[in-house]
Amino acid sequence: MALNTNVTRRSFVKMAALAGAAAAIGTQMTGSLIEAPAAYADEAEEVKVVKTSCHGCIQMCPALATIKNGVVVKLEGDPAAPESRGSFCIKGLNELHTMYSPRHILHPLKRVGERGGTDFEVISWDEAIELAATQIKDAIDKYGNYAFFSSVGGGGSFSFIEAMTINMAFGSPTVFEPGCAQCYLPRWSLSKLFYGGDDQSIADNAVQEIFKVEDNKTEVVVLWAAQPSVSETAESGRGMAELKAMGAKTIVVDPNFSPDAAKADVWLSVRPGTDTGLCLSWYRYIFENKLYDEQFTKYWTNLPFLIDPDTKLPVKAQELFPDFKQSTPANTPAYVCFDLKTGAVAPFEYSAPENSAVDPEIFWEGEFNGKTYKTAGQIYKDEAEPWTLEHAEEVCWVPADLNEEAIKLYTSLNGGIANGVALDMTESASQIPLGLMGLDSIMGRINKPGVTMTQKGMASIPVSRPITKHNGFGGMFSDMYGCGAVVGMSDEENEERAKQLAETRPQALYNQILYDRLGMKNHKGLYAWCHSHIPTVREAIATGEPYKPRVWFDMSGNKLAMLGNAKSWYDVFPEVDFIIAQYPMLTSFQIEAADLVFPCREWLEEPMVNMTQLGTQWLQNECTHIGETVSHGIPGAQVIAKVQEMYGGSIPNGLEMAPGVSAYMGQPNEAAVKKSVANTLGAPDWETLQANIEAFVPRIPEGYWQYNQHEVIVDDGLPAGFATESRKIEVYCQILIKCACTGYPFCYPMPQEPCEDYSPICKFIEPCESPVNDEANGEGGQYPFVLTSGRLPYFHHGTMRHAAFSRELYPIPDVKINPKAAAELGIEHGEWIKVISRRGEISGRAYLTEGVAPGVVWMERFWNPECFDESVPKENRTAGWRECNVNVLTKNTAPFNEVYGSYTNRGFTVRIEKGEKPANVWVEPKEFAPFLPTLQNEPVTPDVF
Amino acid sequence: MRNCLVIDLDRCTGCDSCVAACKHENNVSLGIYWNRVNVVGPSGEWPRIEGYWLPTQCQQCENAACEAACPTGATYRDEKYGLILIDKEKCIGCQSCIEACPFGARTYNEELNIVEKCTCCVQRLDAGEKPACVHNCCTGARLFGDLDDPESDVAKAIAAAGEENIHWLPDAYGASPRTCYILHASTATWKELA
Repeated sequence: MALNTNVTRRSFVKMAALAGAAAAIGTQMTGSLIEAPAAYADEAEEVKVVKTSCHGCIQMCPALATIKNGVVVKLEGDPAAPESRGSFCIKGLNELHTMYSPRHILHPLKRVGERGGTDFEVISWDEAIELAATQIKDAIDKYGNYAFFSSVGGGGSFSFIEAMTINMAFGSPTVFEPGCAQCYLPRWSLSKLFYGGDDQSIADNAVQEIFKVEDNKTEVVVLWAAQPSVSETAESGRGMAELKAMGAKTIVVDPNFSPDAAKADVWLSVRPGTDTGLCLSWYRYIFENKLYDEQFTKYWTNLPFLIDPDTKLPVKAQELFPDFKQSTPANTPAYVCFDLKTGAVAPFEYSAPENSAVDPEIFWEGEFNGKTYKTAGQIYKDEAEPWTLEHAEEVCWVPADLNEEAIKLYTSLNGGIANGVALDMTESASQIPLGLMGLDSIMGRINKPGVTMTQKGMASIPVSRPITKHNGFGGMFSDMYGCGAVVGMSDEENEERAKQLAETRPQALYNQILYDRLGMKNHKGLYAWCHSHIPTVREAIATGEPYKPRVWFDMSGNKLAMLGNAKSWYDVFPEVDFIIAQYPMLTSFQIEAADLVFPCREWLEEPMVNMTQLGTQWLQNECTHIGETVSHGIPGAQVIAKVQEMYGGSIPNGLEMAPGVSAYMGQPNEAAVKKSVANTLGAPDWETLQANIEAFVPRIPEGYWQYNQHEVIVDDGLPAGFATESRKIEVYCQILIKCACTGYPFCYPMPQEPCEDYSPICKFIEPCESPVNDEANGEGGQYPFVLTSGRLPYFHHGTMRHAAFSRELYPIPDVKINPKAAAELGIEHGEWIKVISRRGEISGRAYLTEGVAPGVVWMERFWNPECFDESVPKENRTAGWRECNVNVLTKNTAPFNEVYGSYTNRGFTVRIEKGEKPANVWVEPKEFAPFLPTLQNEPVTPDVF
Repeated sequence: MRNCLVIDLDRCTGCDSCVAACKHENNVSLGIYWNRVNVVGPSGEWPRIEGYWLPTQCQQCENAACEAACPTGATYRDEKYGLILIDKEKCIGCQSCIEACPFGARTYNEELNIVEKCTCCVQRLDAGEKPACVHNCCTGARLFGDLDDPESDVAKAIAAAGEENIHWLPDAYGASPRTCYILHASTATWKELA
């Protein structure tokens, strides 16, 4: 990389500071602060093509960047990538409009005037770090550690681990992310609790088998609330196209006729938020017609276990048979079943199926010692019983014949279910993944070629009894901080482990943080990602109860476009004393909230290792670097170091790994970032990697495709099984019962207070705001449409709204509405309309289509950065989040999902009226000219830190 | 030699990557498109519907009306690839070709006073690369090559699809477009768009 070495950091910062006086929206980011490096002016043109990875969404497709004299002039897909195969989507292509966008923040910015205004001044990094540190320290000194809080999410500058740990470094429990409970946490976390394995998400790369290039055994995929062709167009979208071309069948469950639905063999246009009902109809049909894998269900799931009607937990063998001596280790309990061999209730010990002493009945109800028990299977069957195809049609609006066709296709061909984010955005966020994983489990589609629920890589080959650690990714925080029980260890083993960890880890402090975290008493599943419950945080900011978060460090995105019921958040901004927002781009959030902005690198500037593609790892390269932007983990590390310095060492009550070593997981400087990236790819250092990228990229793992791991005999002489308490797939998710009581396995050894039981199986909940409930509440017809939303290929979360080549194609949200419903309202195709919920109203254009049911409307979430463009007179500028943003409409109040506290981003009721175009919103292609890139002449700059 | 694009509508999901790839590669202005992706349908009645996407651009006609209409010879068939191209030096911006093109594939560039259209990225072909829209296509739907070469991507795809699944844009004036579209009835029924 040819960096401009003439400019030292010191001289650069000095010049930047001098230029600061003139700063204002649209001008503070443009214009070179330094003269163009002489090297480029004099020398011949230098053009090179560099291997990198996109970061326009979370899948990070391998890409090739053409760099001309330090300026990236072209991006295209890398044909060597195994799944994307050279495909590159519009988000990736339009990175050229982001990297060099007039909205790319190049220097630290300090607010001038009131929040909501568009004036900032450029300050030096030293000043910025000092200001942030002073505000944080003052708040901690005055109000205690819990005054600090962090957040993340919204696309771009992905800082998940950093946001999760910066609060711990400052000794605060509070961190949130608008995704999390509303995006992936429920599906991810439940898969760990359910069977200790990978979940059913395509977007998050858990599902890989269906995209296998050679020897692909997938015959059918059910895309349940997922649209890979839209959300991950170049990678999983390409994968789906290849899979379809091979002849695989697809079933798509989606209220919207998505591109994946258009390609599907069967499209089930489910009423938003009623997926659990549809799922239960699949159970009923499969049970009734005996389409399940009986042997697998008997021996590899916990459905044959007798459930205690009082505790709702499976009965252990010793409880009913006091003399029973189990032959398995203490970490592998024996349960109880109804044995078909003897026709009696009997202990059911863990073993290989062929060695089992019993032939367990899956569906049984009966008495034993005067008490009536049901098997877990019977409980499921009873739950599913009302869900005939006809009942599902009535409730979920899916015609019985189409539903039956889908179930037959799913059960008759090899494959699996892939679930999607829409499922996380309703009150049923925990119930539905339980149902969908359960279906694949009773079909025996686990750890097999062609299915979705598989474990990959050599590390998935078990050598001993599998265990799962549950706090953080891979349970990392269990080991680091010493909290959390290990599922698969006996109670005694866990007690001993906790005792040992207490000696070397900040267990007591961390356990207290876990206990005090906002919203945890009710929604303990949030522990899995160490996040707070968002509505409870908002409430705490508003009321100061039980403590008041006061200084906010946000680590990415436009929170006003991402948080449910955005106005409820806008209303509490005045309660927050100081707001720091780091991001590469200027958004509504910086305008409305930020007092201080740290400039982050765009993905073309930041070294990282990509999310794997069929196991292969690729490099996100530092293709160029302009201004004073930094990699996303650096501001946090610098601020912590400054606060530590102010305290003369440790931060009082801050979580530390060793004296003076904070718990924050982010690199303090670019050299450390680069070293870490190089090492991950197997290179000794960054320079060696850069000198011979082809030698290290891609990194291809050995033995990625693995099968039938649960059958492998491990060191205790038993088949490995699964990393759950029962060592089986817990289709009846028994650990959720314990979790509700104490926070087990997360909040351990010191327990959380109990709450109402969590449902261990799929259960139907009528959405809170729905035609049915509105009618029942005497509000029938006031909000006659159910609104749901979803992605488009142009945007990822809040990103790319400033990309001219995206916006000219999709300038404002099309609100999909069925022609019959539109006719009743006298609304025509392309007409501006208002969409109104109980929270607020926004504008969009009617898009008449048979692709949604007459009672449904669909739109993309949207926000409008043009509303504060320099070309708009200052007095007319708005922050662009009120005009077309679906999160003005969404519902962030109870009822929440019981386990994860998820609120209602989709599947609530709205009404539609005729409307008009909001004043500052651009529609015509040429209007987007101010968004065209302007920073190509910025000099390439050295690392700031 | 009959080079052209062939597009597999069984694969296309309408993501518009081809539009952006074209615009970045060829520096096409806001509001001007050398290619577009049209939505066809959905047809039928919810929830029993079907639909597909129809990407369009210069169809590389055998009897190119644009070539005949051009008064200056700016529109010509190049010798190297057999493609209909525009010589910007000769174009006087009279827009006769825009009138003549039955497929609306040409656009007028006000700033330069010339007409522009898809060139199949000849600059990339010269470098041994595929057109940008083909290279980046997110579903592998876009193919480029010589219909006369049985080993080309396009000829192989057409052969594999079978005659009954090959379609052309309606050719009212006998332009005989080279570009064809692959669509199986199992995906959606081809619509003869007026």
